[in-house]
Amino acid sequence: MIPTEYYLLLSAAVFCIGVFGVLTRRNALVFLMSVELMLNAANLNFIAFSHQYGNLVGQTFSLFTMALAAAEVAVGIGIVLVLYRNFKEVDVTTPTSMRW
Amino acid sequence: MAGALEFAAAIPALPFVGFLIALLAGHYYPKLLPKGGAIPGILATAGSLLLSAWVFLAVGSGGEMNEEIYTWVAGDGTFSLHFGLLVDPLSALMVVLVSLVAFLVHVFSLGYMNDEDEPGLPRYYAGLGLFSASMLAFALSDNLLMSFVFFELVGFCSWWLIGHWYTNPGPASAAKKAFLVTRFGDYFLLVGLVGILGTFGTATFTEFTETAATALGPGGADVTTFFGLDPQAWFALLGLLVLGGVVGKSAQFPLHTWLPDAMEGPTPVSALIHAATMVAAGVYLVARMYGFFALLPTVLAVIALVGGFTALFAATMAVVKREIKQVLAYSTISQYGYMMLGLGAGGYVAGVFHLLTHAVFKALLFLGAGVVIVAMHHDEDMWEMGGLKDKLPVTYWAFLSGSLALAGIVPFAGFWSKDEVLHEALVYGLGGNTALLVAYAFGIVAVFLTGFYTFRMFLLTFHGEPRSSTAESAGGIGWNMKLPVAVLGALALLIGFVNPALVSDLTGANLDFLHSWLEGPIEATAAGHYEELVTANAAYAAAEFSALASAGISLVFALAGVGFAWLLYSGPEPVEHTEKLGSIKTLLYNNYYQDEYQVWLAEHLTLPVSRGVSKFDQGIVDGIVDGASSVTLFSGAQARRLQTGRVSNYVTLLALGLLVMLAALGVLGGWF
Amino acid sequence: MADFEFADDLRVLPGVVAVALFALFAVVFLGASFPDAAGFAGDARLISGIGYALFDFTSASDAPTEGFLAAFEIIDLVLVGALVGAVMLARRDDGSFGELFRGGEK
Repeated sequence: MIPTEYYLLLSAAVFCIGVFGVLTRRNALVFLMSVELMLNAANLNFIAFSHQYGNLVGQTFSLFTMALAAAEVAVGIGIVLVLYRNFKEVDVTTPTSMRW
Repeated sequence: MAGALEFAAAIPALPFVGFLIALLAGHYYPKLLPKGGAIPGILATAGSLLLSAWVFLAVGSGGEMNEEIYTWVAGDGTFSLHFGLLVDPLSALMVVLVSLVAFLVHVFSLGYMNDEDEPGLPRYYAGLGLFSASMLAFALSDNLLMSFVFFELVGFCSWWLIGHWYTNPGPASAAKKAFLVTRFGDYFLLVGLVGILGTFGTATFTEFTETAATALGPGGADVTTFFGLDPQAWFALLGLLVLGGVVGKSAQFPLHTWLPDAMEGPTPVSALIHAATMVAAGVYLVARMYGFFALLPTVLAVIALVGGFTALFAATMAVVKREIKQVLAYSTISQYGYMMLGLGAGGYVAGVFHLLTHAVFKALLFLGAGVVIVAMHHDEDMWEMGGLKDKLPVTYWAFLSGSLALAGIVPFAGFWSKDEVLHEALVYGLGGNTALLVAYAFGIVAVFLTGFYTFRMFLLTFHGEPRSSTAESAGGIGWNMKLPVAVLGALALLIGFVNPALVSDLTGANLDFLHSWLEGPIEATAAGHYEELVTANAAYAAAEFSALASAGISLVFALAGVGFAWLLYSGPEPVEHTEKLGSIKTLLYNNYYQDEYQVWLAEHLTLPVSRGVSKFDQGIVDGIVDGASSVTLFSGAQARRLQTGRVSNYVTLLALGLLVMLAALGVLGGWF
Repeated sequence: MADFEFADDLRVLPGVVAVALFALFAVVFLGASFPDAAGFAGDARLISGIGYALFDFTSASDAPTEGFLAAFEIIDLVLVGALVGAVMLARRDDGSFGELFRGGEK
């Protein structure tokens, strides 16, 4: 069997790729995609531990995470839509009004 | 009769209520005060007078009171600060005197202020009420702290009342000067008070004088001295500090400059405050603390010398003055010099006696001058007066009585008291104390000058032909001004017989009423106790000199002064003789340039120092505070640049924070 | 096939944080030691088990699990809320939906 550490490492890699995307990309849709990556990295983690402990809780939980991710994306796309309406582009670095 | 002492606290409280009524009703409901607050003031001082008389009788039959009324600060492991009442013969005498003069001045003010339609009457009567309350409370104080508080209050009331006509520059400036000069002296008193509290752990008069006496005696006592001085030197220093306040308040040299300027205030105010009561506060304080001063020969010598010198110094300046109130002002300074001389010479009874008689005849002279001023439509120049004898008969006779008392002619009051002061100085001076002899010499020369300037004033004002149209048409004085003047005139004649020591010596009868009165129930404040202290500690030895001979000498000097004035100024058309003094006249007229000197000191000494201190305050103290705020503002301005409004930056910071936290947790938790 | 290009407007500096995070994770995870994985029985029907777990039939499942009925209902509500929220966000400021609900008219 593959030792659980490697699953965790994979999950960490995917998570960090997601974080990288959130930090560096300008396009709002790519931003949302990176957030999805992070959510799925967490799912991987759940699955790995479900196998480690021989318990189905982890897998069931990850189902719920996926459903939540979908809901979140639905609302997120709506926000990107409103963003586009107000700023005429989907660059996340453009709206800077919420500051001093 | 002992029930009277329970009401002793009401003696200062009644005029205080009068003050509140005049102040509040005068501002909010002026219609309630038809006479501008005079009626509450008169009723309050009359009440105080009756209560004081009752207390006087109670003390006479052996009652006394020395207790705390109110604890201001209860010390924890150290001394406490309190207010209390000390009712003994001296304070009972003083409250009767103060309330009597205050009552008469209130009645006189009806004529001087109300009938002349002066503005601001409620303010005036409120000031008089607060002053009376403060002075009575000062007289009844049982400890130096309470005395100091009321000392300052009377100084404040003096400023308030002198500046009654504050819209004119003269009175406003004079009020400021009075307040500042007396405040300067009071600063020394405050330092002395703190020193006494630190040394003895108490400021109560009866307690610390006893402790000081035991400390200087054979046994020694538990006192803390400072600066490594032995008790004798340290107590002398404390005595000199207290003396600073006395010199300021009683207008002795060099802090006498405020009193002549204070004549800018209304004449009843001058009569009450600057003749009979407030300036008496300083001398009264010395008499109150006499148990302490009697232990210190150096301080007593200083008191006597300052007093004698001031008596002569002020008398020389009174000789050339043109305005009637100015003559009386310098006369006040001079006579308080006599009281200080008496107290410094170990004559406790003599000093208190002169305080009593002077209050009566000086108030009389000021009120008489007030009558003259009103009759002359506020023209005070004596060379414009003349011939007022026929126009103002009651005032004439009363003023004559007062002048004879001031000059010290037998049998008027001033003779008995001044003679006793000079006799004490002479006797103790001849017993081996040269300082007292010098002071006596000053005093005796001043007797001549006193007789001279008093009768110069009297003759120029009342005798001769009227020298101006105002003098010719003088008149129109109501009973409310004549009555107090007449009462005081009679008193000036009679009050000397309170202690005619000379008569007792001659006839062997015991007529020394004041002396036996001051023996009193409280041991610590008895006159005999003071005499013992003076002879024991201050090493005052009394030489043998006949009281009659001493009285004769001073009477001769006084009559010579009176006669000289008669020579120069009697007759229908007196002429000015002051020009014959030449340059001395300029010196005297300008008051030895003391005022200019003090202004110079203020401008060239105090002002640069205060400028430097102000720079320090603004630069360093304010600088630190401003610096703290500007540092905060600057760091805030820099810190807010974190908020860029860009989501990416925020997420970066989030991630960075997470990284740091995890790393820290890992290191601490041993994950590696 | 369309020509594609990599993004050229990356802000790389913040990305270093992500790399550092990965490095931290790697160090921690590779240094951890786990006991042998319990795993599942070879013939256990896992998907059925998940289904039973969703409806609190935990005894009917082959592998040990817990009941998730409450979470199931709540997630249902969340999805409805998300759907409605998305539609609301799509509404224009003047209250219309623009092209959103246009039918297939031509």
